[in-house]
Amino acid sequence: MERLLEIAKKACDRAEVYWNEYAYNPVSFEDAELHDVETKLQSGLSLRVIKDDKLGFAYTKNLIDREEVLRNALNSLKGGMKAEYSFPLTKEHPSLDTYDPSIERLSSKTMVEECDRVCQYLRSRTDGEITSTAFTYTETVRVINTEGTDLTMRSSTYGIYGGAVYPGSASGIFRGYLWKRFEKFPDSLLNEIVDLYKSSFRVVTPKGGTMRAMFMPNAMLAFNWRILSGTSSKSVFEKSSPIADKLGKKIFDEKLTVYDDPLDDKFPGARSFDDEGVKTDRLTVVEKGVLKSFYYDLNYANKLNAEPTGHGYRTTDWGGDAITCRPVPALAHMHIRPGDKSFSDLVGSIDRGVIVEGALGAHSGNIPNGDYSVGLSPGLYVEKGEIVGRVKDVMVAGNIYDTLTRVAALGKTLYPTFSGRWVPILLVENASVATR
Amino acid sequence: MPAKCAINYPRYRFSESISSILLAGSRIEGSERRGVVIHVWKEERTTGEKRSSFSGKELTQVTSNSTDGYVIRVLKDGGMSSVQFTKQADAERAVRAAVENALLIARNIERPIRLAKTELVKDQFTPELREDPRQVSMEEKLELVRHYNDIPLGSDKIVTTSLSYQDVIREKYFINTEGTEIREDLVTTRLSGEITSKDGNLLQNVRVRAGGSDGFSTIRDQEDHLEERTRIAVDLLEARPVERGVYDCILNQSLSGVFTHEAFGHFSEADIIETLPAMREKMKIGSKLGSDVLSIVDDATLRGQTGFYKYDDEGTRVRRTELMKGGVLAGRLHSRRTAAEFGEAVSGHCVAEDYRYAPIVRMGTIFIEPGAHSLDDLLSMLGNGLYILDGKGGQTAGENFTFGAQYAYLVKGGKLSTMVRDINISGNLYQTLEDITAVGNDLVFSKVGGCGKGQMNIRSCYGSPHVLVKNVVIGGA
Repeated sequence: MERLLEIAKKACDRAEVYWNEYAYNPVSFEDAELHDVETKLQSGLSLRVIKDDKLGFAYTKNLIDREEVLRNALNSLKGGMKAEYSFPLTKEHPSLDTYDPSIERLSSKTMVEECDRVCQYLRSRTDGEITSTAFTYTETVRVINTEGTDLTMRSSTYGIYGGAVYPGSASGIFRGYLWKRFEKFPDSLLNEIVDLYKSSFRVVTPKGGTMRAMFMPNAMLAFNWRILSGTSSKSVFEKSSPIADKLGKKIFDEKLTVYDDPLDDKFPGARSFDDEGVKTDRLTVVEKGVLKSFYYDLNYANKLNAEPTGHGYRTTDWGGDAITCRPVPALAHMHIRPGDKSFSDLVGSIDRGVIVEGALGAHSGNIPNGDYSVGLSPGLYVEKGEIVGRVKDVMVAGNIYDTLTRVAALGKTLYPTFSGRWVPILLVENASVATR
Repeated sequence: MPAKCAINYPRYRFSESISSILLAGSRIEGSERRGVVIHVWKEERTTGEKRSSFSGKELTQVTSNSTDGYVIRVLKDGGMSSVQFTKQADAERAVRAAVENALLIARNIERPIRLAKTELVKDQFTPELREDPRQVSMEEKLELVRHYNDIPLGSDKIVTTSLSYQDVIREKYFINTEGTEIREDLVTTRLSGEITSKDGNLLQNVRVRAGGSDGFSTIRDQEDHLEERTRIAVDLLEARPVERGVYDCILNQSLSGVFTHEAFGHFSEADIIETLPAMREKMKIGSKLGSDVLSIVDDATLRGQTGFYKYDDEGTRVRRTELMKGGVLAGRLHSRRTAAEFGEAVSGHCVAEDYRYAPIVRMGTIFIEPGAHSLDDLLSMLGNGLYILDGKGGQTAGENFTFGAQYAYLVKGGKLSTMVRDINISGNLYQTLEDITAVGNDLVFSKVGGCGKGQMNIRSCYGSPHVLVKNVVIGGA
């Protein structure tokens, strides 16, 4: 790594090497039986060089030929991509507790036993088809650059989810959780699966219309993606954010606060520097409905004449293999601040409405504009504060810059979602619901 | 351009590195080697992935990379497990982990895993290309993408574009202890992006797609496509949002292809329904699930289509597979493991994204077989309803599916009228298969693949003629 940086330095003005190594061990149960145990060991590096304010980039899995990697990076300078910034010199950064060494001793056998326990628990209480997956993920990230930055972090994550699928549908109730080390799957989450599954087994066919809609953690993707798009400096620069000129203005209901907290190491994956070596900090994006800040990486901060906020991560909307991705602005540790309502408080407050347990098509449609239109999969119907049953062929649609001005209440519990973002249950008024 | 010149990686290097891993495997197994099947995939991308991307006027990326890695899979005592790794030095550790995992599985399952028999193959296959992308310079590729990108940006209603060109050259090596040895190259070219138009606060986006499996020629002469897409993006600013409700609809080829892939195709993948007992019962071969006019095939042997390949990543030759014939379920897509589990024929559909993944069952080129009707016939049969065009992402959960469409026209008395936007369709697979009441004669295949099922498959493509579907739920916005 150091030698690559050295030879790169000779050929360019500035250079940076990013190294990533991870081990991923999942075990999965399908239909309550062990289905697969796998191991993934991957490592690699990517090189960024800046010469005459132009950016070059290359990556490789096996550093067999340093010269070739450098040649690829130099070749990509020809594209003439502007990079009128330099890499940061980051010396001081908070020390975080991100790695629990007990993860190394956690065997696949223990995870098999835990998933088996989850499956037996759900199977004995529901007639659903039961699935469960547990995994360990350990990662080492190192960033070095010609300014003198040399940062390393190591993290451990253990995760598990379980679910009961309605027979014949592949749609069901799933809950999961993430920690830094092995923990027993909490009974509270298992019981949530059981209770929701049981109360929704009967299929009902209500009329569509305008009603309350409760977005459960798995359905919050429908909102997350659109919030992430609207508040990204990349969208602002590309003029594809409808809220580019709304800083300091109210865009959502005052119950809604969205922030990014990379430093909270209670959660797995905390980071004190981003994938570009910029120091991270807590950032409030939306406070009580008011747009407070966009989030920046080095590139878009430079283009928009703003300070980088430490949100340059090597990722795509779908995750992706870090070394192959160039840094982009990413709100990697997003949280929506929870409210004070329990699940039953929220259901009890609905006179007529739907519970969106899963959102099919959360990633489709006009995301920049904030439009969403998702199939309820599954969806539950609520009348007079009680869950009546499950609905089929039902969609809920709208635009987040309209829907999220009508937040009725937020749940008090934080749940993990895709990519390690944490959200509560969100109840909105007057959602547009279509039925067959 | 003769394809043979594409082989620039000496074969001996293949045998050396990959065989040493097999050897490492057999050393660990020692005398217990009997009954162990070890598969090793190695993948080398020599020219790797070239990519140039624009975001608006600005070029955001030009890269060229080469990476490689290994997947090893072990079947032992009825348990099977795979390990993916990148460092050759990790080979022994990988084999040991795979054996350990396989034994852990064996101890915890009731029925041992078996692999269906497949023919022993020793072959090298490189596709014939119409213009090898490796022979086109980065500068020329960049110029072409810049030229295409300038087309939408020439309109003052277009605020931004994202357009990227990518070629991915996968050089795959496969070897197993049964004696199969295969080298196959997959050359994929793809131009993809989005055009965004804006009026006041209203943003609309439309996708751009070109590419294929048979060379750089698939990227040339796309001006008309870019112009057409630009026009649609601009027109959409004037379109009205569709009113939510239930409509009879004609789906164009691209959208109907998305339906075929998303809603039906995934449940033809044996590894999906294998562990969903109720679904498996419903999807029995011979069940009448669709209307009489509906026949669906997966045929990855069609040369020139994006889904084309010769061998899957278990070394099985891919076969044309009839999935539905006149509404009756006729077959499904298999890996060797699922073929043995279902007691059905191998089909050669077990494919990995690359060396970072174990292979899973994937569609190759899935399509609805053409019928007798022209689009005009279908419009008259429709009378009043919607003509919906071009997919925009979709998702399924069992029998329920949701997908977006780029735009639609209201149809009144068999004639196209106003353009409408914000189209999202939601439905039930079985109901929709019955509700397809007429099939057009104008089969078209998708140029760019892309299916995420835990891992990406940029080669999975689909096709369809126009189809007429009754009672479709449209979500609106």
